[in-house]
Amino acid sequence: MGEKGKYLDKEYTRRQFLKLSGKSLAGLAISATMLNTLGVTAEAIAEDKVRVWAFPQGLLVVDSDRCVGCQRCEINCTLTNDGCTSSYISRVKVTRNLFSSRNGSGLYTDDPWTYFPDTCRQCEDPACGNACPMQAIYVDESGIRRVDQEKCIGCGACQAACPWHMPTVNPVTHKSSKCIMCGACVEGCPSGALSIIPWDKVASAAQAV
Amino acid sequence: MSVKNGINGWAGTILRINLTTGEITTEDTLPKFRPYVGGMGIGYKVILDEVPLTTKAFDEANKIIFSVGPLTASGAPCSGRTTITSLSSWSKGLSVVDAHMGGHFAHNFKYAGYDAMIIEGKSDKHVYIKIDDEKVTLEDASELWGKGTFEANKLMAKTCGDEFDVCSIGPAGENLVHYSTIITSRGNSGGAGMAAILGSKGVKGIAVRGTGAVKIARPQELKLLANYMIKDLVGGNNNHNVPRVPQTWAEYSATVNNRWQGAPGRKWELAPHGAVDTGEQPSGQINVAAYRCTKGVQEFGEVALKYMVKQGGCSSCPVRCYSEYEMEPLADYDLPVHASNACLPTGSGQQGFYIKGGEHKFEGFHDFKYEGDGKIIIGGAGSRAMDDYGVDTNYNNLPRDFARLYKSGILKEHMTEEEWNELPWELMEQGDPRWIVEIWKHMASNKGVWAELTQGSYFLYKSWGLDDASKNSAGLNFYDDVDSNNTNVTYNGYPKHHSAEDAWQSGLLYNLMYNRDCMDHVLTNFVRSGSPFEEVIKPVMEEYFGEGVVDPPKAYTPINDAKIRLAKWAFLEKQWHDCATLCNWMYPMTLSTSPKRRYRGDLELDSKYMTAVLGEEYTYEDQLHDMERVSHMLRGMTAISFAINEGVKNLRDTHDAIPAWNFDKDPDIPVFTEGTDKMDREDMEKAKTMFYEAMGWSTETGIPTRETLEKFGLEDLAAKMDEYGLL
Repeated sequence: MGEKGKYLDKEYTRRQFLKLSGKSLAGLAISATMLNTLGVTAEAIAEDKVRVWAFPQGLLVVDSDRCVGCQRCEINCTLTNDGCTSSYISRVKVTRNLFSSRNGSGLYTDDPWTYFPDTCRQCEDPACGNACPMQAIYVDESGIRRVDQEKCIGCGACQAACPWHMPTVNPVTHKSSKCIMCGACVEGCPSGALSIIPWDKVASAAQAV
Repeated sequence: MSVKNGINGWAGTILRINLTTGEITTEDTLPKFRPYVGGMGIGYKVILDEVPLTTKAFDEANKIIFSVGPLTASGAPCSGRTTITSLSSWSKGLSVVDAHMGGHFAHNFKYAGYDAMIIEGKSDKHVYIKIDDEKVTLEDASELWGKGTFEANKLMAKTCGDEFDVCSIGPAGENLVHYSTIITSRGNSGGAGMAAILGSKGVKGIAVRGTGAVKIARPQELKLLANYMIKDLVGGNNNHNVPRVPQTWAEYSATVNNRWQGAPGRKWELAPHGAVDTGEQPSGQINVAAYRCTKGVQEFGEVALKYMVKQGGCSSCPVRCYSEYEMEPLADYDLPVHASNACLPTGSGQQGFYIKGGEHKFEGFHDFKYEGDGKIIIGGAGSRAMDDYGVDTNYNNLPRDFARLYKSGILKEHMTEEEWNELPWELMEQGDPRWIVEIWKHMASNKGVWAELTQGSYFLYKSWGLDDASKNSAGLNFYDDVDSNNTNVTYNGYPKHHSAEDAWQSGLLYNLMYNRDCMDHVLTNFVRSGSPFEEVIKPVMEEYFGEGVVDPPKAYTPINDAKIRLAKWAFLEKQWHDCATLCNWMYPMTLSTSPKRRYRGDLELDSKYMTAVLGEEYTYEDQLHDMERVSHMLRGMTAISFAINEGVKNLRDTHDAIPAWNFDKDPDIPVFTEGTDKMDREDMEKAKTMFYEAMGWSTETGIPTRETLEKFGLEDLAAKMDEYGLL
C-alpha cells in the first residue's frame, strides 16, 4: 500500500473516532472521557496541562508538565523542513513560551517552570487561509493545511489572522510556512512532552467508552 | 533556505560595540577566524591582536568577547554554550580567562546572525545591549542598575518582548567584585569575574532575539547523527552511562552515586498536574532521555523529589541537568521559592557558610517540611541569592576560605567590631536560610572585609599572609597545608576541578594549564560514570589510548606514555568544547549507554557533526590539530602575562607549581599503593616534562617553542613573545 493509501486508512479511523466522540475536527474539543482511557486525565485537560490535536498519524498530545524547554522540537522541525536550524521559523513553537511569554509564564516571570510547545490546530475553518489574499493556504489529500510556496507573497496576513500566530513568514525567503504534521518534533522530543497516540489505539479507546 | 548568508555552520558576522563612542559595527568572521574555529578561539585571537597584555581587567582598553562556534545551534545536542573571554582581575598573572555560560542565550545570539560580540571601551551611562537581529542598540539601564539579576532579567525580557533572551550582572558586577558572575535563564552563569568587567564598562545586561537560522550543509545527516547520539551514546549528566538504580533493561547499575538518578517510582513530585514518574529510560530510546539525570537526587537524596517541578537546562540538550524547584518552606522566611541549578551552586557552595567548630554553635541543618530537607532548602535559598546578587565562588574557594578563616580566628582579626557584630550569627547557629542570603548581600558589596574576601584567593592570601605560615596568627599555609578546605591546585589562586583524585597524573596536569579552575570534565566523566572498572572503563579506555592509561580508584601507578596521551587529549578536548561550542560536561562521547556497543562511545562524533554542518570533511585529526593551535595561544599569552605581571620567564616553576598537600596527604600510606590518590613529586616533574614534550613546549620553561608556534601559523604570537624574551 502506498503512502496515500495509508493516510486514507488513518483518515477513516480518524473520522470514525470523531463520529464516535461526537466532536468536531477542531483539535482541542475532544471527549475528555475518551482521553481518560488513553491515559490523559480530564483534570489535566481542564487545567490546560495537555493540549490535544488530531494529526493524520493520530492524536498529538502536548504535556506541559513534561516539557523541559530544550527546543529540540524546533531544531528537528527546521532540520527536517527547512534544511537549517531556527526557532523563529519553526512550525512548532516553544521559544516564544520559554522566556517572558504572552501567557504570563516562562523563565523570566513569576511562573518560571511553565513552558510548552505549541503548534497549528489545523482548524476546520482556518483564519490563516481565510485571510490569505492569494488563497495560498490549501488542504491537501490528508486534510493538512499547507502554504503553496509559489502563491505566497509573504504579506503576513495569515500570521496576523491566526489567533495563535502560528504561520510564520520567513524573514529571508519572505514565504510563510506552517506545521505540515510531519511528526519530526514528536520523534525527537527527549521527554515525551510531545507524543502521538495512533488512531487505531484512539479508535479502540473510543469504542470502549 | 532561511539563512542570512551563505556560510555553513558559522553565522558569518562578528559584532563590535564600542561603548566609548557608541559606534556599532560588524566584520566578517571568515577567513580571519577560521583557524581558531570559534568561541574561545575567537576570544583569544581578539585579545592577542587588540588588547595589550599590560592592560588591566577594568581598564577602558580591556575588551570582553562573547562568542559561539560552528556547532552552536547546529542541532548537535548540547550545543547551547556561550564562551566569554577577557583578562582576569583576580588570578596570578592577570592573564586571559574564559567563562562558559549555558542556558538559551547562545542559540538566540547565533540565530541573530553573530559568531561573536566584541565589547570595547566604556559607557558614560548605564546601558544594556539590545540585539534584535541586525538592529543593535544601547538602551538606557538606569532603572535596572542596582537591581538583582532576576529582576533585571525580568524587566529586560518584558520590555523587549516575548522572543528575547537576556542575561545580566547583579550588584556584585556593578560593584566590580572580582568574584562576580553573569546570569541568564534561571541560574545559568558565566563566572571568572566577567560580570565585573561588564560592570566596569557600564553594561548591565544583554537582550537578544534572533529570527534567522544556522545553515547546515547536510541537515538530514546532522539529524541522524543527533538521534544516534541520543539513542545509543548519551546517558545522564556528565554522560554517566549506567543508571544509579537498577533498571530491568540495564546490565549494570552505577558503582558510585552518579548523575543518572531517574528511576521507576522517582517522580517530579511538584509537576503542576500530578507527579511525573521518571520511569525506566532504556538505551536506544530518544523520548526518555530527559528523565535520566533528575539531578537533585544526586546532591540531596530522594527528598529533592519533594520539591522538584521538572528538569531544565540549555538549548538543544536532551539531558537536563538543572533541577527546577519550588520550595514552599522558604515562603515562611519571606524568601523566593523558585530555585534552579546543577551541582555545586545549590550544594556545598551554600552549606559551606554554616560552619561547625567555630565560636558559634552550629550543630547541623534542621528539617523544614520533610525529613532530611535541611540542606536542599538552604541550597535553594543560597543559590537563588548568590545568583541574584551575581556572586561567583571561584569553584567554592570562597566558602572554603571563609570557613578556614572563621575557624582559625583569622577572620575575626581582620573584621572591624562593627562588621563582626553586624552579622546575624544566631541565624547561622539556627541553620536559618536568611543567614546565607545575608552572606551573599555582603559578598556583593565590595566593601571592607568583604572586598578583601572576594578579591580572590591569590590576592587575599598575599595581603593577609596566608601564603606563609609565619605571617599569620594561626600558622596556616592556605596553599600547602593538608586540610579538607584546601583544594588549591596551583599557587595562582584557584582550586582543583576534578584533578588527581579522579584521574591520577593526567587530571592534575590539565588542572595546571588555565588561569582559573580548569572546568575540564573530560576525564571525570568516565571515571565517575558508575560503570564497572574492569568490565567497562579499563577495556574501553585502553582501546582508545593504550595499556596503562587508567588506574583503579586510589590504586595509582607511575606516569607513562598512555597517561600523557590521555592528559593531552583531555586538554585539547576542553578547548574544543569552548570553541565549537559544545558542553564540556557531556562531550566527548567517551562511553555509551549501549550494551550492544559494549559501552564504547564515539570520540569522532564531534568531527562527524562538523562534516555534516560544513559539507566538507573535517576529521578528528583536524579537530585536535586546531585545538593545539588554540592551546598554544592560551599558553603563549599566559607566558607574556607572567613576564609582565610577575617578572618571570618560566611557567614550569611558577604557573605550574603544585602545592605540597598534593604530595603530603595520607602521610601513613606510601605513594602508588592502594588507599591513596596522592602524587609523587619526582614522578610529577617527570609527567610535566613528558606533557610539555607532547605539546611541543620547552621542557625547561613549559612555554611553546618558536618551532611549534610557526608550525601552527602563530608567528604573530611568537613576535609578541619575542618582545619579552620568551622564545
